[in-house]
Amino acid sequence: MLDILLPIAQVTDDGLKAIALGIGAGVGTIGPGIGVGFIFGKVIESVTRQPEMREEITSIQWLGFALTEAIIFYAFVFGLIAFFL
Amino acid sequence: MTTAQASEQPPAERGRGLSTKAKVLIGLGIYLGVAVVLFAIFGSDGRNEEFQPQDEFKLDPWIELKIGSVDLSFNKAVLYLLITCVLTVGTMVLIARRMQQRPNNTQTIVEGAYDLTYSNIAKGNMSEEAAAKWFPFVATLFFFIWFSNMLGYIPLPVNDHETIDIFGIDFPAFALYAATANISIPLVLTLTVFFLYQAEGIRRHGLVRYLKSWLPAGVSGGAAVPIFAIEVISQFVRIISLSVRLFANILAGHLLILFMAGGLAVLVGVTAIGWITLPAAVAFFIFEVGLIATLQAFIFATLTSIYFGEASAGGH
Repeated sequence: MLDILLPIAQVTDDGLKAIALGIGAGVGTIGPGIGVGFIFGKVIESVTRQPEMREEITSIQWLGFALTEAIIFYAFVFGLIAFFL
Repeated sequence: MTTAQASEQPPAERGRGLSTKAKVLIGLGIYLGVAVVLFAIFGSDGRNEEFQPQDEFKLDPWIELKIGSVDLSFNKAVLYLLITCVLTVGTMVLIARRMQQRPNNTQTIVEGAYDLTYSNIAKGNMSEEAAAKWFPFVATLFFFIWFSNMLGYIPLPVNDHETIDIFGIDFPAFALYAATANISIPLVLTLTVFFLYQAEGIRRHGLVRYLKSWLPAGVSGGAAVPIFAIEVISQFVRIISLSVRLFANILAGHLLILFMAGGLAVLVGVTAIGWITLPAAVAFFIFEVGLIATLQAFIFATLTSIYFGEASAGGH
């Protein structure tokens, strides 16, 4: 138990930065994750309601997916900035 | 991978007393067993301090070229850009030349590419007139980013940190690198788009009317001032969002493939981890090549044409 606790007590700047990157990127994934799920859920719903609109819906779906997914990477990039600066 | 094969076998071959569930469990057991065996044989070498993952994205000058304080050295990213340029120009010339009456295979692909960039990306988001004018630009952007992304998933001998010895000559090791995984290239593309569409808006409407067109319809009087300030900020945030979206997607994809395909095992010094993460690397590679590379090029071109459509039509 002491082996685990001792390194934690010796907090370094690098360690704190690594924690910032981990928490920042991890928590930042939650929101976009829900968003992407929401988009695909709605797409399934709309296609089952109006199958003839399928092609139009899928092209919008990828736009929405990419725009939402990009937010994950904003969190990731700012985490990297916090880590390396 | 073993688990997927076991579950997909047709019912006829399933026999010999084993149910699908048992096969899946056996496959999983073998997979984990190999990991345990590898761990038992090789064990842990301790943390590897020599291996620096960020070196994969470091740009060392190959040919020094400096004009004053401006660094124009030839490096990995420049090589990738040159190959991308050649491919893009080649495709454009091919599209221009190959428009024939009698279709063949090349013609089908070329028409598909033309249809995607013209009908879908340009005409879907701009007026007819603006689409005719800006379609070449949008299509060039699409092909440039697409080739640049796809080139990033072909291993090329560009790694100057590690070398392979073939008949006494040191060849650079094969590496994955994409020009778009470096922030400067998406940023330059984004700045080009940004200034071009602002210029297009000002040319078409005049400065004052163009700035007024940023306001949503129906906003006037005192409320217009704070809303205009927000619109100005949102215009400049487009520079960040457009460039970072492309850059971070490609960078994150390459980092994931790097770490899963062995980087993590080398870094931690445990061979068994490499065996466990390898299927994830294959999955991410397929995901990146099959979806993300094309999707990011599509998104960049689509957003560009949305911005141009907004600037040339006015209003929201």
